[in-house]
Amino acid sequence: MAYVATRGGERAIAQSERLYREGLGPIDRDRVAAVADALPWLVDRVMGEASLYEPELAALALAQTGGDLYEAVLLLRAWRTTQPRLAIARPVTQDRLFTHRRISAAFKDIPGGQILGPTLDYSHRILATEVLEGRPLTPAPVQKADRPAPPHHPSLAAWQKAQGLVADPAPEEVAPEAIPDLTREPLLFPAPRAHRLQGLARADSGGVLALGYSAMRGHGNAHPTVNELRLAEAELRVPHPRGTVFSAGRVKVSQAEVAAKEGGTRIRLGFAATLGWNEVKVIAAATLDLNAPGAAKGTPTEEEFFLYHTEPVEASGFCIHFKLPHYVTFQSALDAMRDANARKTQPPADPLLRCENTLGGSGGRSAPGAPHAPAHPAKETTE
Amino acid sequence: MTALGELTRPWQAMSYGFLDPSAKREMRRAMLKAVAVPGCQIPYASREVPMARGWGTGGLQVTLTLVNPGSVVKVIDQGADDSVNAVSIRQFVQKVAGARGTWDTQEATILQSRHRIPEEKLREDQILVLQVPNPEPLRPVQPNMSLARQMHADADYGRLWLVLYEQVVRSGRIMQGASYPALVNGRHVMTPSPIPRWDLPKLDMARHLTLLSAGREKRIFAVPPFTRVQPLAFDDIPFRVEDHASLVCHRSGVAGFFMNEIPQPDGSARHELSDSHFGIKAIRRSEGEAVEIGETWYRNGAVT
Repeated sequence: MAYVATRGGERAIAQSERLYREGLGPIDRDRVAAVADALPWLVDRVMGEASLYEPELAALALAQTGGDLYEAVLLLRAWRTTQPRLAIARPVTQDRLFTHRRISAAFKDIPGGQILGPTLDYSHRILATEVLEGRPLTPAPVQKADRPAPPHHPSLAAWQKAQGLVADPAPEEVAPEAIPDLTREPLLFPAPRAHRLQGLARADSGGVLALGYSAMRGHGNAHPTVNELRLAEAELRVPHPRGTVFSAGRVKVSQAEVAAKEGGTRIRLGFAATLGWNEVKVIAAATLDLNAPGAAKGTPTEEEFFLYHTEPVEASGFCIHFKLPHYVTFQSALDAMRDANARKTQPPADPLLRCENTLGGSGGRSAPGAPHAPAHPAKETTE
Repeated sequence: MTALGELTRPWQAMSYGFLDPSAKREMRRAMLKAVAVPGCQIPYASREVPMARGWGTGGLQVTLTLVNPGSVVKVIDQGADDSVNAVSIRQFVQKVAGARGTWDTQEATILQSRHRIPEEKLREDQILVLQVPNPEPLRPVQPNMSLARQMHADADYGRLWLVLYEQVVRSGRIMQGASYPALVNGRHVMTPSPIPRWDLPKLDMARHLTLLSAGREKRIFAVPPFTRVQPLAFDDIPFRVEDHASLVCHRSGVAGFFMNEIPQPDGSARHELSDSHFGIKAIRRSEGEAVEIGETWYRNGAVT
């Protein structure tokens, strides 16, 4: 069977996966624990993009993929989507967040105070090469403040609303099961606010940064001021079947509110939040949210544009799909190109006449050769 | 008394066919809508599956929803059953659904395909699932999904004809290769997915159901059995399939079907049947085996 012998797809794909996994070696509990301990910020980033808060599973995904972030996020998403919904937690308000870090660039000091919390913001970024010479980088112990910072802080926007600086629309009462869910419904435009914020929450950090940064550089209409940035833990308050509400634990969350002047009399806010601590992402995402109202179609700050193009699983998957064979599509284009080239060598006067002349003909299959591109490539529909 | 254990199934790591029942229910509703409005793109949530987006996740979700333990599943990529990604998809469906895999078009009950429709005619009891990278025929003239949706609602397709007209003016003929836009049931223009033009007439008034699903773009559409599928063309410049009618497969000697062109070191090219298992059957038959080859859509290089 000469025809079949030339093909070895099934064996080849099995071996190529083995080759990849051989490079990573065995994955055991110890390696997962080491990833979780050593790379908490990476685990947070992956949990945010996967929209699944489970540090151990996120560490497993990172270990299993050797740190290929898009592969890790896909693993977690594919696992997450099959899991049942056990309960819908109660909404979390800002003043109930157990806050580790909270800063505002809009005022020198704010009610509740500026809490620096853990950050590398003011560190000197010097690579600790001494570690490689055998001298470990042992952090100096933190000196406790005289008074512990309060665990809960009011939102700055609440003060601004009281001052009449920020619009204060009445909260919309939505039944828990009626909350729009991007993972169970298609995304259509204009998107419900819930879908936009969910899309940004699980967006690719790098993608959101690229588009958010384009807005910051001037491809948006509003310059963001960080009104309030928080790294916090949110309590998961879940209704018990008996009717009581209990805490099922806490999840790390980040949120950013960015502000811009609106029409000279008011402040407009952009908001974003995500699971895990990821400051760059929420500031960039809040900047997109801030710039979205009224943005022109097809610009980076327009909701459809940024939600479609910052979706990490879709974007990365489509990018790598170009490795798949496309030879049928290519063959289909070659045919028309050769025919068009053959026509060019013997062009009748009228272009429309040219087509009619060959309608019944063989189509002039010319010798293989590089077809020369027209000065302006003709547009084709799809692909 | 009934014990709780008798009412529930034992715990399993995943649902039958991977997708959970709520995902399948949503898929079925979207599929029914798609069948009810032929060619109209129906949005769906599109769950993540254990495969990268753009690698057939839309087709896979349809197949996983349709499949049952009695199904016989054929998966092809570019016409080939043993293309790496087709193998991967078929193995996954077999693993999570216990369905049997096949290479034989005649034998399959569900055929998932990327970029080709088999050369043998499909029957009423077969379903063709086409993987769709971009479900929107209007994308080149309107990249925003929301605006394109409005254009479909208005049957505003003038700019697609303009694209084809521009090709005629620039190149002397319609240059559209694969993904040739077609009017379905006289109402919605669809992209048939990047199948070659050769395969498009196979959808017109076909006996089988075709489901087209784009997982990344979250749209599903359908060509129900016995539905008109008309390629966009002009009265004086009709639709033309690829000039493959006279090409001969160098492996099987068969002529009159869509071919892959294989460049040769001496500057020439050889051709082989793109529908690889159709080719295998032709070779087997020529070697004297009793192989059943179904009726084909094309005969002597022309649509029958």
